[in-house]
Amino acid sequence: MRYFITSLILIVNLILQSTLFQYIEIIDIKPNTTIAIIVAFAFLCGELPGAIIGFAAGLLQDIFFGSYIGMHSMLGMLTGFLCGKFYIGFYKEGLLLPLSLTIISTLFYELCFYILNILIRGNMSVLYFLRAVILPETAYTAIFSVIIYKIIYLINCKLEERERLTRKLF
Amino acid sequence: MDFFNRYKKTIIAIASLFCLCLVFITAERTAPTFVETGVSYLITPFQKANTAVSEWIGSKINIIKHLDEVENENEKLAKKVLSLEEETNRLKQMEKENKKLTELLEISQKYKQYPTTGARIIAKDPGNWYDIFIIDKGTKNGIERNMVVLSSNGLVGKISEAGYNYSKVVSIIDDTDSVSSQNTRTEDIGFVRGDLTNKGICIMEYIDNEAEIIEGDEIITSHLSNIYPPGLTIGYVKEIYSDLNTLTKYAVVEPIVDFKNLETVLVITQNFEKNISFDVKQENTESKPFDVETTSKADD
Repeated sequence: MRYFITSLILIVNLILQSTLFQYIEIIDIKPNTTIAIIVAFAFLCGELPGAIIGFAAGLLQDIFFGSYIGMHSMLGMLTGFLCGKFYIGFYKEGLLLPLSLTIISTLFYELCFYILNILIRGNMSVLYFLRAVILPETAYTAIFSVIIYKIIYLINCKLEERERLTRKLF
Repeated sequence: MDFFNRYKKTIIAIASLFCLCLVFITAERTAPTFVETGVSYLITPFQKANTAVSEWIGSKINIIKHLDEVENENEKLAKKVLSLEEETNRLKQMEKENKKLTELLEISQKYKQYPTTGARIIAKDPGNWYDIFIIDKGTKNGIERNMVVLSSNGLVGKISEAGYNYSKVVSIIDDTDSVSSQNTRTEDIGFVRGDLTNKGICIMEYIDNEAEIIEGDEIITSHLSNIYPPGLTIGYVKEIYSDLNTLTKYAVVEPIVDFKNLETVLVITQNFEKNISFDVKQENTESKPFDVETTSKADD
């Protein structure tokens, strides 16, 4: 059940991102909801699930829109793994930590993407891309991440309740 | 789980390396792998449906937004219709005349000689870096890699990957791909590629420093490209700069295609990449430099 719902969320997210989100661009920038979803899952489930979900989400994006496979998968996996470090020892109810994690992750993800894809081809205008792409995208994603975290938190609660019943642990 | 916890850093490092290796392996591939085709085959119909729904919602929102404008416009248009009707009658006569004259001059029509198929854009790259989009036709409609994509008025890009029922299109405003191009007025050659720092605008690079290129010149695809057929309109020159490092000029070219509102495209279902070796002889006899040489020899 958990696998099914998680993959469904990832696929629906990809479809929405590539179709509906084209219409809600602000200054030519679309929100990167994939990162918000990876962060939410990693924060709620831990390192290993975070890394796997990040890898899967990145792979989907690679298959559909990449000209080569592996770039988004790797960045997604690393983002999921690093955010999974915050799984133990933090309350899951608050919004501040997932929000700031999303902001840091988006910055990390897009900066790495810039370095591995654009800088390597000789385009040096780092400050321009920070101002025109990375920072607006981070801000836009942060707004979306609040809603996404709430939704995934609720889904996760439901799933945990189900799992508790089937396993009869308590 | 315990195994993962013990070796997690190594596992993540190895997995990252694996991804990087995949990048290098898949960078050179010419066709999508069976995994990609399979996944895309399943998801493409959903994207198609969702695009239709999104467009419908967008159009409804637009109707509500522009209700006042519509009334004013209606009055204006009614007046315009009258004047245009007059003009169409006049133009119909001219068209007949024109047909006769073109037949006399034997001018071949540029676009009609290529077989084309229409396709809808069903999805665009969710990232903010590249301009790749997906159309709803693939190998089952006879589309292959490196076929040329047009809109009604100019060049859009080329097919970078053809799956069974979808194809990826890399547009000319994407900076990973460049088009060999030519100025119609002076026949100067250059390369047009997208500009990341100025979205939706192209740059024509490596123009000769003594080329007499000016603002407003029309840029078309050149005869040097082995993917694009010659003579397709790319856009118009907006600004010109000279590059002091390479001693060449570069021009900012505004594409004639409106990429923001692009919904349908035409794909030329003829692969120029393969046919080039067969067409060389014919093209050479038609091109100008050869004609000039032969005439000059004849003069001698």
